[in-house]
Amino acid sequence: MTADATPRPGGDPPIPSGSIYDLGYRGYDGPRLGRRHAVGALFTHTLLSCYGIGRGGRAKIIPFVLAGIAVLPAVIAVGLVALARQAGQAGEFITDASPIRYETYFEIVGQIVALFCAAQAPELLGRDQRYSVLSLYFSRALERTDYAIAKLGGFVVALLALVLAPQIILVLGLTLSSPDLAEGLGENLPKVPPILAQAVTLSAVFGSLSLAIAAFTPRRAYATAGIIASFIIPPVVAEIAREVTSRDISRWFVLASPPDVIGATNAFFFDIRPDSSVIAAARHPGELYLVVAALAVAACTGILIRRYQRISA
Amino acid sequence: MTIFITLVDVTLRGLVGRRRTVLLVLLAVLPIGLALLARLGGETPDAAAALDALVVRIVLPLIALVFGTAALGAEIEDGTAVYLLTKPIARLHIVVAKVVVAALLTAALVAPSALVTGLLMGGGDEGLAATLAVTPAVIIGSLLYAAAFVAISVITTRALVIGLVYVVIWEGILAGILVGTRIFSIREAVLGFAGVLAPDAWESGLEAAQAVALALVVVIGGIALGARRLAVHEVRGGD
Amino acid sequence: MSGQGAAPAIELDHVSRWYGNVVAVNDISFSLGAGVTGLLGPNGAGKSTLLHMLAGLLRPSAGRLTVGGEPAWRNPSLYRRIGLVPEREAVHAFLTGFEFARMNARLQRLPDPDAAAARAIRTVDLESAAHRPIGTYSKGMRQRAKIAGALVHEPTILLLDEPFNGMDPRQRLHMIALLRGMAAEGRTILFSSHILEEVERLADEVLVIHAGRLAASGDFRQIRRLMTDRPHTFRIRSSDDRALGAALVAQPAVFGVELTDGRLIARVGDYGAFTAGLATTAKRAAVSLYEVAPTDDSLESVFAYLVRR
Repeated sequence: MTADATPRPGGDPPIPSGSIYDLGYRGYDGPRLGRRHAVGALFTHTLLSCYGIGRGGRAKIIPFVLAGIAVLPAVIAVGLVALARQAGQAGEFITDASPIRYETYFEIVGQIVALFCAAQAPELLGRDQRYSVLSLYFSRALERTDYAIAKLGGFVVALLALVLAPQIILVLGLTLSSPDLAEGLGENLPKVPPILAQAVTLSAVFGSLSLAIAAFTPRRAYATAGIIASFIIPPVVAEIAREVTSRDISRWFVLASPPDVIGATNAFFFDIRPDSSVIAAARHPGELYLVVAALAVAACTGILIRRYQRISA
Repeated sequence: MTIFITLVDVTLRGLVGRRRTVLLVLLAVLPIGLALLARLGGETPDAAAALDALVVRIVLPLIALVFGTAALGAEIEDGTAVYLLTKPIARLHIVVAKVVVAALLTAALVAPSALVTGLLMGGGDEGLAATLAVTPAVIIGSLLYAAAFVAISVITTRALVIGLVYVVIWEGILAGILVGTRIFSIREAVLGFAGVLAPDAWESGLEAAQAVALALVVVIGGIALGARRLAVHEVRGGD
Repeated sequence: MSGQGAAPAIELDHVSRWYGNVVAVNDISFSLGAGVTGLLGPNGAGKSTLLHMLAGLLRPSAGRLTVGGEPAWRNPSLYRRIGLVPEREAVHAFLTGFEFARMNARLQRLPDPDAAAARAIRTVDLESAAHRPIGTYSKGMRQRAKIAGALVHEPTILLLDEPFNGMDPRQRLHMIALLRGMAAEGRTILFSSHILEEVERLADEVLVIHAGRLAASGDFRQIRRLMTDRPHTFRIRSSDDRALGAALVAQPAVFGVELTDGRLIARVGDYGAFTAGLATTAKRAAVSLYEVAPTDDSLESVFAYLVRR
């Protein structure tokens, strides 16, 4: 350390001469993982932070509570079935009458997913906007579009986990608790493709819709309100439309209601009759709902990407 | 009086003219759109039920929620409330002005929504009576919700979420299940007021006396509570 | 510290403020009268907390705090006499500068709000932009708009929290002149800053606050002089530095001398004794003195010393 430029105690003006101290700052010459890794890192980070992993304890409360509630009916159902099997013939009544089955489960868990979206989507997007962190993201190898897609991917996968966890428990539980393993597999395995299809559809639709709404405001409370409104209002509107307007007009309202569309795709994948009277009254072919879902996902993704291309950071 | 007008003016200009106002207008127009479609379809539906479901249960509380929590809450949150607080005016005046503006803006959107929707729905004399009964009721409801939400927004910064929970869960679900809690539901009071004017159409609300009691408690209590909390509201510095 | 015969405008008596376990202001007592006082301290020292307590926006956890003879907490009528310029940037962005000043004037129940607003805008030199929304202002213009809002009712006590934030040097000089003028009229002005040059230039007196405690108060030169356990440093140019240096070292008041770069630096313990005897010492050594300057009498060295303590 050269003595010249050291400021002396007592406040003497330093004698003019310059030198730079080597305090340990080093440039980095090593390999730089490129854009793909940046996107992957953001994707993983998004997925984990949906469940509060990597953030404080408080951030874990809501997601874990919701996940617990989502999984609980499945655990109960498996328990019931296992008990019922012990009871033999009488038990079959119970298993058949159990309301908790693969096809009905999505309706139960759908509301949990909606709450999860309303709670977590604003967190994912709002915090970055509110604290002006976006400029840090965009000055990396990450493109604006990449940011949007990585967030969307992470969030949809997080929702997938939420939706599939109870279903996996159901499949495993029901298969393993059947007296003959081959029979159990034969009963339950064919259900797996529809489960997966519906899970993907539900996650993609709810996820992209929530993010598209949350992207437009840094205030988390407004985003939460908007997301909840988008899940609550359209079904009510569809219901009222069915009552007050003619069939030809009201049947189209159902397509604008995310919970109803998902309910319809559920019915389509599992090849059952839909529960909701609104869907039944509309009498659309099941494929139409699939198309609508796909279009909705595409539209929301487009809105999300465009928002982040235009946002000032 | 100038003080009151100044406060109203500042609050009004702060609330209107944002992106969210457009969304709220769209929400208020939604029932009207549905009613138009109903007319085009040639049906004459049960106006009261439709109005109840849409306007009273959804449009009114949501619009009141946004305006009510933003009227004072937004200023507290972004720090501009300081300029109102460091003035020689009673905190009560500030709260009253905020409640009035929130109520007026809400009513300005919801009352026409209810009126036009109901008129379009038709339904003959009964339908007309139902519509003419619910319109003043939602105006009163605007005041009730505004007072409640402004008061909550002084107490906590999470007023919007709490208001949402109240509307969706308390009013939406619990009041349907636990009949005794109806006395604490602003929605039931609004339906009760409508029932005073058109008892045949609006049966499900509170009795007149109960509705009036709830209204008085909410308005007076809300404003008083808000004023008291505002008087001891602390503004921390940046340091 | 008030200096005037009248009751002090601001008086604190063992005032503390804590948030749970964190003490923001720790047992501070002082009193202020007319003139400009600077509240100096690093970030997090408690300056804003103190100013907000004086402005009636925070309740003291302990102690007594009076402004204009009355407690500030829960006392809205006091605001006729106090003006506060908060630190936070946020102002009603949709109002123009003039409208903002006028809003403040109206809420202050002034008889002619328009004239008062116009006067305040003129005072802060914001006339050219007064009819544009504040949302379009630069940071310095926004500060001036806030100050205009605090001046409309011509308060006798003015509290400013980091008022020079974002101002360029010209604006700063203008504001300093304005505040000095107001102090000369008999007003009490208390402003906070962590920038030493501003405080040095503007304040008559200084309150140094660090970690919630009052480290020193008064004229900073006086404060410096009171710190006898730390040596003063003088820079001397003379006709024969070495001879003078040798003569000085013999004195008990002098801790040490240093010859560097054409100057003589003397580190001195007893300020009074040294300055009194310097001329005599030089004369006896047959040395002419060209320049004698204390090198560390700046506020910076005072502050640095107090804060490091």
